[in-house]
Amino acid sequence: MEVRSKQQSPRAAVPVGPLEAVGVAVVRKLSDESLLVGLGSGDPDAAADFVRRFQRRVFGLTFSILRDRAAAEEAAQESFLRAWRHASTYDPRRGTVAGWLLTIARNVSINMLPTRRFDPVDPELIVALEARRPHQDRIAAQVVDSELLREPLARLPGNQRRALVLAVFYGFTAREISELDGVPLGTVKTRIRSAMLKLRSQLRVSDDR
Amino acid sequence: MTAEMGCEQVRELAPELALGIAEGEERDAALRHLDGCGGCRQLVSELSSVGDELLQLAPVHDPPAGFESRVLAGLTEPPRRRSIQPLTRRWQWLAIAAAAVVLAATLSAGSVLLATAGDRRLAASYQAVLSQGQGAYFVAAPLQGTRGRVGTVFGYQGQPSWVMVTLQSSIREEGRFQVQVVTRDGRYLSLGDAVLGGAKGTWGGQLPVDLSAVHELRFMGSDGRPTLTATFATANPWD
Repeated sequence: MEVRSKQQSPRAAVPVGPLEAVGVAVVRKLSDESLLVGLGSGDPDAAADFVRRFQRRVFGLTFSILRDRAAAEEAAQESFLRAWRHASTYDPRRGTVAGWLLTIARNVSINMLPTRRFDPVDPELIVALEARRPHQDRIAAQVVDSELLREPLARLPGNQRRALVLAVFYGFTAREISELDGVPLGTVKTRIRSAMLKLRSQLRVSDDR
Repeated sequence: MTAEMGCEQVRELAPELALGIAEGEERDAALRHLDGCGGCRQLVSELSSVGDELLQLAPVHDPPAGFESRVLAGLTEPPRRRSIQPLTRRWQWLAIAAAAVVLAATLSAGSVLLATAGDRRLAASYQAVLSQGQGAYFVAAPLQGTRGRVGTVFGYQGQPSWVMVTLQSSIREEGRFQVQVVTRDGRYLSLGDAVLGGAKGTWGGQLPVDLSAVHELRFMGSDGRPTLTATFATANPWD
């Protein structure tokens, strides 16, 4: 992996600017990748920064899925533990650190959902909760990409949005959504596919700009 | 094995592959296609990015007070082995021996009830094994991977209850898993880590609950999803 192969301290990854050269302390924000390298290598400062940077998003996601604060905290803790254990498996070519970490958090949460007791919350609630919110703890590039999807997600037909949210956040398969909503499997597959392709085209438009 | 898939079929399934919700043989056939098709791989990769970005739209919440400290405390400790002690080498051999004896008994389905001398001996042997650990019963369940059965899980109800996994020798690649028990009342309990495959053909450990409370044993891969599972259909097959 590119990041790991350099084997550098996240602190060392920060170039020294002219102000630091003359002894002036400058607060710099390390990249997510640098913090992950530090976390994996046991750097306590990097680990603390990593947890501080992502804890609200990780807990927000686990709570959205589990709807129980104690369970959400357990899932969030487990997610950071797995990130620490498996930091070396992160491949920057396959996505952002935030996406990687939140995927871990999603999977941990889904595995904590007792299927027999699972009462899915209204998935549109997630979208509604997200209508407008500040992003104080996000770096600019990440805000732009995910924010690009907010409006097209809201514009999707309700049944497409529901199928997509059940699949993305709750890990429901098309078959499970079909059984849950009482609609044909083929219809659910079409809804997921249509929604995903619309959102992909939105991201591609932004890349082409 | 299902028929091979073409680009058109794989592109239809691409969103589900990207979101990790494609299932069974359909998924396996699509993954085989992706191995040799850069165009379809690119599509799945782009759709995976959509999934990643969508997760980032989840609401942000402040975690409970002290969360950061608790996480960091956990990161400084050695990997957890919560609520379970791995079986010692001696216990592993005892478990394998017990599994062999009891498997022989249970394979003769209904034999305990039949009034034949051989079957009575088997029943007596079974009872003798159970009495060694104040046990009530012994069960076996198939360990299932994504492409079918890969081994067997033996479960012993006693003081303590424990499980023993034996893997088919055809599993050549070693893998590290987190082991999880799903209880019949819906709880999830961690059994720590396990290495299975290659030269590591067995794994076993003590259960933190009675075997009768165990619904499923799961071996989770690095992505946090169950890779191998074994389900105990009933609490006590002899009841």
